[in-house]
Parts: sequence; C-alpha cells; structure tokens
Amino acid sequence: MRPLTRLAQRWPNVPMAAGVIAMLLLAAGLAVIFDNESGYRQQKISEIQVQADILAASVSAALDFGDAVAGQEAVDALRVNPQLMAAGVYGADGQIFAGYERAAGRLPKRLAGAPADAGNTVDAMVPVTVGTERIGSVYLSAVREPLSRRITRYSVIGALIIMAALVVIVLGLAHTALRRANLELESRAKALSDAYAELQVQVDERARAEEQLRQAQKMQALGQLTGGIAHDFNNLLTVIQGSADILRRPGLAEEKRVRFAEAIVETASRAAALTSQLLAFARRQPLKPEVIDLNAKIRGMTNLLDRTLGERVRVVTELSETLCAIEADPAQLESALLNVAVNARDAMADGGTLTIRTGNAEPREDGRTAVYVAVADSGTGIDPDLLERVFEPFFTTKSVGRGTGLGLSQVYGFAAQSGGEVKMTSALGEGTVVTIILPCSDREATPVTLPAAANARRGGTGRLLVVDDNEDVGAFAEALLLELGYQVVRVNNGEAALERAATEKFDAVFTDVVMPEMTGIELAERLKALAPNMPVVLTTGYSDEISRSGAGGRPVVFKPYRLDTLAQVLEDVLAGNGEAGPSTAA
Amino acid sequence: MATGRALLGIIALLATALPCGPALAAAQPSDMAVKAAFLSKFGSYVNWPPPAASGPVYLCIVGNDPFGGVIEAAIRGQQAGGRPLQLRRFAGADGAGGCHIAFVQGANAAATASMLGSMRGKPILTVTDARAGGQQGMIHFVLQQGRVRFHIDDAAAAQSRLLISSRLLSLALNVRQRP
Repeated sequence: MRPLTRLAQRWPNVPMAAGVIAMLLLAAGLAVIFDNESGYRQQKISEIQVQADILAASVSAALDFGDAVAGQEAVDALRVNPQLMAAGVYGADGQIFAGYERAAGRLPKRLAGAPADAGNTVDAMVPVTVGTERIGSVYLSAVREPLSRRITRYSVIGALIIMAALVVIVLGLAHTALRRANLELESRAKALSDAYAELQVQVDERARAEEQLRQAQKMQALGQLTGGIAHDFNNLLTVIQGSADILRRPGLAEEKRVRFAEAIVETASRAAALTSQLLAFARRQPLKPEVIDLNAKIRGMTNLLDRTLGERVRVVTELSETLCAIEADPAQLESALLNVAVNARDAMADGGTLTIRTGNAEPREDGRTAVYVAVADSGTGIDPDLLERVFEPFFTTKSVGRGTGLGLSQVYGFAAQSGGEVKMTSALGEGTVVTIILPCSDREATPVTLPAAANARRGGTGRLLVVDDNEDVGAFAEALLLELGYQVVRVNNGEAALERAATEKFDAVFTDVVMPEMTGIELAERLKALAPNMPVVLTTGYSDEISRSGAGGRPVVFKPYRLDTLAQVLEDVLAGNGEAGPSTAA
Repeated sequence: MATGRALLGIIALLATALPCGPALAAAQPSDMAVKAAFLSKFGSYVNWPPPAASGPVYLCIVGNDPFGGVIEAAIRGQQAGGRPLQLRRFAGADGAGGCHIAFVQGANAAATASMLGSMRGKPILTVTDARAGGQQGMIHFVLQQGRVRFHIDDAAAAQSRLLISSRLLSLALNVRQRP
C-alpha cells in the first residue's frame, strides 16, 4: 500500500519529470551534434594536413628546380577534391609558385605566416623541404562539408531527439489528462451517488405521501360507505318506526294493524338484506347458487321494486317466456337487481319508466347458452368518461349519505362469480341500460319459496339457557322463546352461564358468539365438558369469529333472525338433530 | 569550365611573369647559370651505394668547364641531402672515380663518349649537355622553348646502382626506365 500511496503522491510531479527528461534528451542531442561537429572538424583538419603533406612532397622537386609547369600539374591533381577551395605552392621567400583557386581571393598572393583559421574553411600550411632544407610552403584551404549537408545530417538526429522529447512530453501530458479525467470521474461518481441518495429521499417522501393519500382515500371511502348505510337504514327505520307508532295507537282497525305489521316485517327483511350484502362484501362470502327461474324471480320482486322505487317511477317488465333456468345465489341476484333499480331511480329524479327485459343472450365463449336481464331507465345517463369507472368499489356520483358506492360493484362481482358478465351502455340525456348476462343451467328450477307467515305459531317445550351480553337482544330473544313456550333462564356472560349450567339442568343453550371475556364458542367448549349431551345453538350477527374458528358442528342462527327460523332450529336441536348445519337468516 | 580555364590562364601568366625558383631569383638567369643551379641540386635526389653514401658529395666538372664562375656561385651554401657539396674539376676521366656527380663534356663527341664509357658502371651520376653533342649521360640537359630541361636515363643509373628520386624523375622530359 505504502509504495502505491507514495506513487500517488508523486503523480503530480510526472509532467515536470517528463519536461526534465525531455530537456535532458535535447541536451544530449545537442552534445551529440556538437561532438560530431567537433570530431568532423578534427578529421577534416588532419585530412587536409595529409593532403598538404602529399602535395609538399610531390612539388618539392618542381619547386626546387623552378619547374612551374610540373608544380602546377601537381597542384592541379588536387582539383578532383571538390572541397578543396584553394591550393598554393610558395617559395621560401613567400612568393607564389603554383596554385589554383575555385573562387577569386581564396588564394593569397603571398604567404605570410600561418593562415588565420577561417570559420567555414579548414586551412593547412606545411613546409616543402628537400632533405633538411626548407625551400617553400604548401597552402591548402578546404571548405568543410557544405552547411546544408551538415544541417541535413544533424537535423535527422535533431528530429529523432525532438520526437523522443515530444513522446515523453505527450506521455506526461496524457498522464496529466488521465489523472484529470479520473478526478472528474470521481466527482461525477460522487455526484451520482448524491443524486441517488436524493432520489432515495424523494422516493421515501413519495411513498409516505402515497401512504397518506391511501389513508385519506380509505377514510373517504369509509365515510362514503357509512354515510350510504346510514341513509339506507334511515329510510328503512323511518318505515319501521312509523309503522310501529301507528300500531301503538289504540283502537286500530284489524286490517290496518296487519298492513303495518307486514310493512315492518318487510322493511326489516330489506334491512337484513342490506346488512347481509355488506357482510357479503366484507367477507367475500362465496355464493350459494341455486337453480332459479329468472322470470319468476323478477315477477316476485315487482312489489318490492314498486315500493322501493316510489310512485314516480313506472316499472314495466318485458319477459321472454322461452328462458332457460340459471344457477345463481338468489339473494345476490335480488340485491343486484335492486341495486340497479335504485341507481335507475336516482337517475330519474323527476320520474320515468324502468323497463326490465329478459331474453336469450348470445352463447358464452365456452359454448354455454345464456340469458340476459336488462334494466333500462329513461334517466339522465352517464358521462362516457365515468362509464368505465362505475363498477369500481366505492365509486359513486352520489353525495355522501346518498349511496354506499357498493351497488354496481356488487352487481359486477355477482355477475362475474356466477360465470356471467355485466354491461352498461349509456348516453347523456337518453338513459342507461344495465345488462346482466348469466349462463344457463342444465338443472331444473326449484319453485320460488315464499317466506312462511311470520306469525305462524309453533309450540316448544323445554328449559333453555340464553346467553347474550346485549341486554336488548337478550331480552328480545327471551321474549321470543317464552312466546314459543320454552322456559328461559337468561344470563349476560359466559361465566354466569357456566355457573348456572353447573347447578341447574337445561335442555339446550342459546348463546351469542361475540361477547367480551368469553366467546360463545369457548363457552360451548367448556359446556361440553360440563354436560356433553347438552346441545348449544350459536347466534351471531357477525360471522368473522365463526369463519375463523368454526362453529364446531353446532347450529348457528344468524342475526337478525325470524321467529320462524329460531323455532325451527330449536325444534331440530331438541329433537336430537343437533348436528344440523348452520342455519341462515331469513 | 570557363572559369577553370581562366584560372589556368591566370596561373600560367603568374608562373611565367614571376621569376620562378629560389635559386634563380637573384639575377637574370642565363642557361648556364640554370644548369649550374640544377647541378647543385641533383645531389638531394640521388642515393648512392656505400661507401659513396656518406661523406661530402663531390660534384665534378670533367673535361671542359662551360660554367666559369657560375658553378661556384650555385654551389655556395648548397647541401645534398644533408651532406656537404664540394666542387672538383678534372681534365679527364682519370681521377674522377671518387666523384658523385660528374658533368661530362669533352672537346668533341668522341672524347665525351670515351669519358662516359670509362665511368660506366661506377656509382657516378653522369650529366651531359645537348649543346655539346648527342652523347648522353644519365641526366641530359636540353633547351626546350627557351627553358632548360633534362632527360633521365634511369636504366643507366640502375646499372651504376644509383637510386634517383621519383620526384626528380617527374621533372624530366622523358625517362628511360630501368629494366
């Protein structure tokens, strides 16, 4: 690590080092050129010296004998050397004897002492001797290699060195550039990671905001739902309360008494259907399909529809008589038609016509035949933009307190779960048609069972323990059971029930499921230890506990229950048919 | 080429206009003075066999003396290859056996030939002059275009075991080559 760090610390010096190396290279190159030049000069001097020696030897006789022609011949022999600019032979008195020159003025007329060393020429002067006697001198003057050629030669060396220096410099610069690029890359990476962190923060914030938004939407949906339920229930309660008030009037005619009592029963049934619908939505309870004659079901609903939709809406049915039977949950089918009808009523604030049409539909994709029931209104219609959203849960165009937003969602869910589909066509100002398409069943339809008369009296004998934490409901159940002829002991919690059961003998126990401290199911288990053969009937308005832990094979009466239903279940239990499955509310 | 020729011309002019050679610089040279000067210089270009290779170099005038006092003037101060140069005069070939250089000129051609003949084979550089006849020694003076020149018979020099410097040979009009 340490050498690396040290190297890294020295990195900034690399360009300087490159510069120094380049300078050294250049200096070395100059030294080489200088050395070369100086060596060349020395070589040239000795070369000229040798030539002068040779000339001196060869002209000595000619000079001695004054033979200028022979002397000139000897001098002329040197002409072949192009670098020799001048050659002269001088007598002992310095007078010229023979010579030549390539350019005027190169050859001195008289020789006086050693010639000055001219810059660009190499001069040599040697004595001419005969024996030991000096009889004259020879003078040679040669140019050095032409400057251009020397420059060419040195420029090659120079170019090589400059290139080497450039390479070093370029490498140094490249290194610097690389380092700079690395730094930039580092800063970019840092910026990127900063940006990523920033993004992370924003994502978190957004997730938080979305969570808040979801919460808000949930609260809004909850408000919508509770408002809708309150509205629907208020309507029903108005009928029940009004009817009950009339019934309390003394001296009421028998005919009126029956009518209002039935109105209460019917309205309560609708309230029960509404809560059932809510529970079905909440629990996503599986359908309980039955084979149904669609036309018969619709005919059976006309009274209900008339009453529900009010006097300003006229209900028209156009029923095809060649329909096949369908398989669906009848209660859900009823709810679906009612939901569509109520929407239609709300779309026709000033009244109008509701047409319910049935017929054979196009065969399904899997080849099964199908029927349809179309509910058309003459109302305001739906904006095309909203059309595709109307089946969404909690989507509603109604103000808070006017609807739950669950109606069409229920219709959609029912149709899909029944193997069919629902379509909606609408145009603003021309009304809306909701078409539910349901596949045919290959089974025979069971006849529609009309609810038994509520006031059917049944007899009952036996001693019952009633357990309910709610005083009103407990008192009501006690009253009903007394009415049916049973002996009733009522307690309001599980512990009390166990105490009574331990000391007294009961034929059956009728207990609420959802109670604080001890649930009805726990109570049933502990009673089983106490009196294994004593039947326990469970009752609940909210089946979550049962769906979680099961009823343990015990009969269940769902609230709200009808007198009839209660009587039937208890009869079955006391008759020893304790293994009967859970009963449903009417 | 034109400049080359011009140069040559200039040099030729220089060569002829200037009194050439240190020996001839003093006075208006006559032919004989030139020949005397030449004679005084030959010794520097010849190697003699032993025992003639050491001691003074004797320059002899054999037979007639055409030089008069000129030869003494020429010899004065001269050396021959570092050896002193001394002048001798002989009337005939007899007694001239110790000479190193002998200028031979008889009263006639036959006398010259006789003297040369008696010297043949001896280590004596014989010199003759064309003015005195056709008899030729090893070096034979002639006058050509007004200038004193000479022929060299190197073959004869070889017979006499003399070695004439090539530098001297190069000045000769022609050289009879040694075998």
